[in-house]
Amino acid sequence: MFDLEPDDELALVLETARRLARDELVPPMRTHEAERSISKALSASWDEVGLSTLDVPIELDGAGMGCLARVHLNEALAEGDVGAAIALDPYGPALVALLETGGTDAARTLVEATDGGTRRALYVDARDAVVREDGNRLTLDVAWVAAEDAAALVLVDDAGARLVAEGLSFDPVRGAGLRAAGGARLRLEGAPIAHRFENPDGAARARARARLHTASLLLGILSATCSFSADYAQERQAFGRPIAHHQALAFLITDMRIALDAARLVVHEAAWRVDQGLPCETEAASAWAECIEIARTLGPNGVQILGGHGFMADYPVEKHMREARALSLLHGGFDAAIEDAGRALVATASPLALGQEGAL
Amino acid sequence: MIDYRVSPETQARLAEAAEIGRKELRPAGLEADGRGAPIPPDDAFFERCLARGEGGTVWAGPDGKRATGPRRSVVERLLLSEELAYWDRGVIIAMPGPGLPENNVLSMGTDEQKERFLGPFLARDRPRWACFGMTEPGAGSDAAAIRTTARKDGDGWILNGAKCFIGGASRSDWILVQATLDPTKGRGAQRAFFVEAGTPGLGGFKIEKKMGLKAYESTSFTLDDCRVPAENLLGGEARYESSAGFKTAMRTFNAGRPQIAANAVGMARAALDESIRFARENDLLGRDRVRDRIEAISRKVRKARLVCLKAGWLADEERPNIIEASMSKALAAQMAQEATTLGLELVGLVGARGDHLIEKLYRDVKAMDIVEGTGQVQRMIIARTLVGLPR
Repeated sequence: MFDLEPDDELALVLETARRLARDELVPPMRTHEAERSISKALSASWDEVGLSTLDVPIELDGAGMGCLARVHLNEALAEGDVGAAIALDPYGPALVALLETGGTDAARTLVEATDGGTRRALYVDARDAVVREDGNRLTLDVAWVAAEDAAALVLVDDAGARLVAEGLSFDPVRGAGLRAAGGARLRLEGAPIAHRFENPDGAARARARARLHTASLLLGILSATCSFSADYAQERQAFGRPIAHHQALAFLITDMRIALDAARLVVHEAAWRVDQGLPCETEAASAWAECIEIARTLGPNGVQILGGHGFMADYPVEKHMREARALSLLHGGFDAAIEDAGRALVATASPLALGQEGAL
Repeated sequence: MIDYRVSPETQARLAEAAEIGRKELRPAGLEADGRGAPIPPDDAFFERCLARGEGGTVWAGPDGKRATGPRRSVVERLLLSEELAYWDRGVIIAMPGPGLPENNVLSMGTDEQKERFLGPFLARDRPRWACFGMTEPGAGSDAAAIRTTARKDGDGWILNGAKCFIGGASRSDWILVQATLDPTKGRGAQRAFFVEAGTPGLGGFKIEKKMGLKAYESTSFTLDDCRVPAENLLGGEARYESSAGFKTAMRTFNAGRPQIAANAVGMARAALDESIRFARENDLLGRDRVRDRIEAISRKVRKARLVCLKAGWLADEERPNIIEASMSKALAAQMAQEATTLGLELVGLVGARGDHLIEKLYRDVKAMDIVEGTGQVQRMIIARTLVGLPR
């Protein structure tokens, strides 16, 4: 029953991911950002680790460890460098979106379209795009994606998912953040829809998983900013003592930590529900909204604690702040999340009654 | 392995708690609130509590063989606390039983003390109460600053001082009073004493008027050359080496903070459900503003519950939970105030009439950010560990 201890397999994955993040993502993060891509050495190193298919079903040669494992992994990697974490992930939430809307066969089409994950696939929520569908042709405009190239696009809307594997056009943009993964305006002009999976329930679960996927990346950034700023505050002296020992900052750091821990738990609980096959859409929307809400304050506060230094690119907190904000705009952002959660919540008399479906 | 399930047994207990809450706790709480006074000790409500098997002790009896029912995990206790507080937090505090000091007696009391002070709760012949006397007019969250003194006098102790805001003090069979041998020597000089009702020098009981949580009495009293025998020193003198005396209180606080947090979660959940009910009855659910408020309350409740349960889970695992216990208390208490505030905004002027449940919850829940250490004290505790904030 109620247990928060990762099993041995997940613990091992996380230990590996955290080591990789610390040793191979953090040191070159500014280089990756400047070069708008990760190094070949990092890609090779990552391939050796073999964690990129952690949540891919076993039938598709993945590890089949599920959504909860994925969000743990995402957070661990994003704590090192979220841009690199995205660049290292061939499928993002795209593959599980097809899994939810069309099953294993649908997901297999994406594996094939990306040459077994050697090229990236993009997930786009229709709420982030201007979309026009004409028969089997798709015209689409997304102002920013964290990529400059991809083999396939999975577009999810209320009705289901569409897979497009040709005609993707990328116009590089500067990008507010996540530059290690690239940055471009994505356009399709009457591109053929390779597969269409009409499945509203599946689409809702796909959106839930995508929100949790991105929420966990956000958690990683926020975790990094909390740790870095708290460490800095214990070293930096002002008025004769570490700045962390001035109560105004001590309480700020404490509140940041509380917010982070709470958000992490709601993300994990929602991801656990995904893996259990329980209703998860409201919980995922809520978790996403919570992560966005805390990112609004934690990102800027991380910079604030460092004062003038925080504003400079010599320290990672300015990068954390920018990237957290950019990431928070995905999936329709905060407004779509609270709208989805709010509509579901008011449909029941006591939405958080204990013990429903045997879960919290 | 990570698992957020609630066992079928816990679900059954939660359902039972909900039934009692609906039939007994909510009505009793509303009545006490309307009356503006605690439920009297001779009220039939308490007889019904005894009839349901409440008001006893988990002590296993002098031979250790008494069936005490299933040993509940901290997580399950927190879930039950949330559910009961959902119906009325004031009434659950008013319930008979050895209450807050029971754990202290179980963990630190001598066998003789367990039999003498917990044994009567096995009898079930009448409602009985006990309470913990820590807070003083000049020492609230700063429990180390208490000024009630204990002076050795032959084979006994003389207590002098004043306590305040003590739940159920005037009706308690005994009070576990925290006192100091020397106010200048800090925590290590503190001791806990059983002071029985009727002991000469124990008096001046005054039931305070409160903003909320009116179902139970919060009482001030004085100790005026109040003499207790040596055997009333909790655990005996051997227990009080180094700073163990202070830890008597702090152990309670460590166990208590997630409990208060769970109460706050339950109260916030009540505000959420009332908000939805009001919105539905008044055809407001189609408004974005209304749904946004409901979503915000829900999200706050959900996260506070999980932080609270994490603190409880760590306790079950016998791992340090100082940070998490304080986090749960700091977060849940603040969250619950926000939840009731949002709920009141939703019901509008109906909330200003003074007879709406959310208005009662708004008053009741404020105490959750005060008892067992204010939100500010919780942050100090967390900051000491996180960033080495000096004491």
